[in-house]
Amino acid sequence: MKVITVIIDNRPGVVADILSTVAENGINIESFNTDGVDKIGVVILTVDKYDKALQVLCDAGYQAISEDALVLRLQDEPGALAKISLRFKYENINIRSLRILKRESDHALVTIVTDDNNRAQDLVKDVLVNI
Amino acid sequence: METNKQNYLPTQEKSDLTESDKQRLEDFFGRALASSKTFIGYPCNLHFDYTDLHRFFSLGLNNVGDPFATSIFQLNTFEFEKEVIESFADFTNTSTVDTWGYVTNGGSEGNLYGLYLARELYPSGIVYYSEDTHYSVAKSIRLLNARSIMIKSQTNGEIDYVDLHETLKTHRDLPAIIFANIGTTMKGAVDDITQIKKILEKLAITSYYIHSDAALSGMILPFVQDPQPWDFLSGIHSISISGHKMIGSPIPCGIVLAKKKFVERIARSVEYVGVLDTTIPGSRNAITPLYLWYALHRYGREGFRRVIRTCLDVAEYAIEHLHNAGIVAWRNNNSITVVFPRPSDRVLKKWQIAPYREISHLITMPHVTTEHIDGFIQDYLNDPPNNTLNTFIIPTNARPQALVSGEHQ
Repeated sequence: MKVITVIIDNRPGVVADILSTVAENGINIESFNTDGVDKIGVVILTVDKYDKALQVLCDAGYQAISEDALVLRLQDEPGALAKISLRFKYENINIRSLRILKRESDHALVTIVTDDNNRAQDLVKDVLVNI
Repeated sequence: METNKQNYLPTQEKSDLTESDKQRLEDFFGRALASSKTFIGYPCNLHFDYTDLHRFFSLGLNNVGDPFATSIFQLNTFEFEKEVIESFADFTNTSTVDTWGYVTNGGSEGNLYGLYLARELYPSGIVYYSEDTHYSVAKSIRLLNARSIMIKSQTNGEIDYVDLHETLKTHRDLPAIIFANIGTTMKGAVDDITQIKKILEKLAITSYYIHSDAALSGMILPFVQDPQPWDFLSGIHSISISGHKMIGSPIPCGIVLAKKKFVERIARSVEYVGVLDTTIPGSRNAITPLYLWYALHRYGREGFRRVIRTCLDVAEYAIEHLHNAGIVAWRNNNSITVVFPRPSDRVLKKWQIAPYREISHLITMPHVTTEHIDGFIQDYLNDPPNNTLNTFIIPTNARPQALVSGEHQ
């Protein structure tokens, strides 16, 4: 079961827009969860046509993230990313990429890809966006 | 000359087009011409004339390989390309004695080249780049399978040096590949190379590589009185500058310059054309080096200094008149990118302005006049945006200082 995470602006109707975008392209949603973080929302869904769903969501202007990346919610302060990356360093897990997705008020949403996402997931349980 | 004309195959083919095909081209030309009249949102100079060079399109020119090597292939413009590279080496405070380069297909290829060199030099290195970096860089990093960490940006678009310091500190055992923005896409912010180097020195990181993405500002900073630290003199190892942006060209192009000692590491011999190929592509455009050479000779250093002065003056005019119209606007020092709250979609479309969240920008390229600015402001006022002013933040280090200190209110 492959998971897609979509970062959205927390506004009325956005969930309906995402559902319509996916449905109009003949994609069946198998699970769907959503949560709001300040002005940001996070939608996590599983679908029957994974690659197509990623494509249509990106084409519609959504920030859709594949399951290769872990999405973290961090305090927006200097060195926050550095502190997180230290956890991986101590466990000898290599960070492939670390990107800031959104910064709103005092929080930031970031994606992280490592060479061992299964172990990495346990290391960041406290900040993992996992609805 | 008549014989030449008869042998000029493209003209014969053009005359064989059907009436409907001819009309289609005619219609497209009309649409493109109309669009060029309200083109103020992207950093492409439309003010150029290369009519003298049109005849070179009748030749099968190709700059395959290294412009500084000797080639069996004669139909190239290497002699002009080398002079272009020498001029840009001069602009970036280096020389071709210890720096090498070539004319690229645009800024992104130059950035890919810089990152490629860095990755070859430091295979275990981590690329650090700010969140205001152009989207193509993430693509290049992925292509090179390099490790990367995004660093926070300040409000003005410049890299956050505290965040960079803290992040480098946790990875000080690994080589650092710094991707510095010399004029960010949305805000024209310049990452301070001196400050970056101080951080690297403070953390005793000796294995590092600095690449500058100077797509637009690489043709601004050489011609201003007080440039931020950005070039080889400041300690960079490679740089990418666009040719079609400030200089202007109907074909996208750019230049990349890199320290020779690093370039030699990736040189590969391509024997069948008799060149030592150090470039990324095989066949390369031979016309764009002619365009750049032509513009560089036509304007010269003094000519570009005047052009840049005018662009900066128009940027100041834009800020002042936007301000007078009640629209808050700012720009970074030595930048012609004027940032203001996102206009309505209709205004965005008409003036071809790229938005990013709550902000938009106009860029006072040489073809943008005060009349364009006046027309844009009028449209902005006639069709105001909804609720963007509330989230629009003026950075503390923006220009003009009068706006920062709150005198605009």
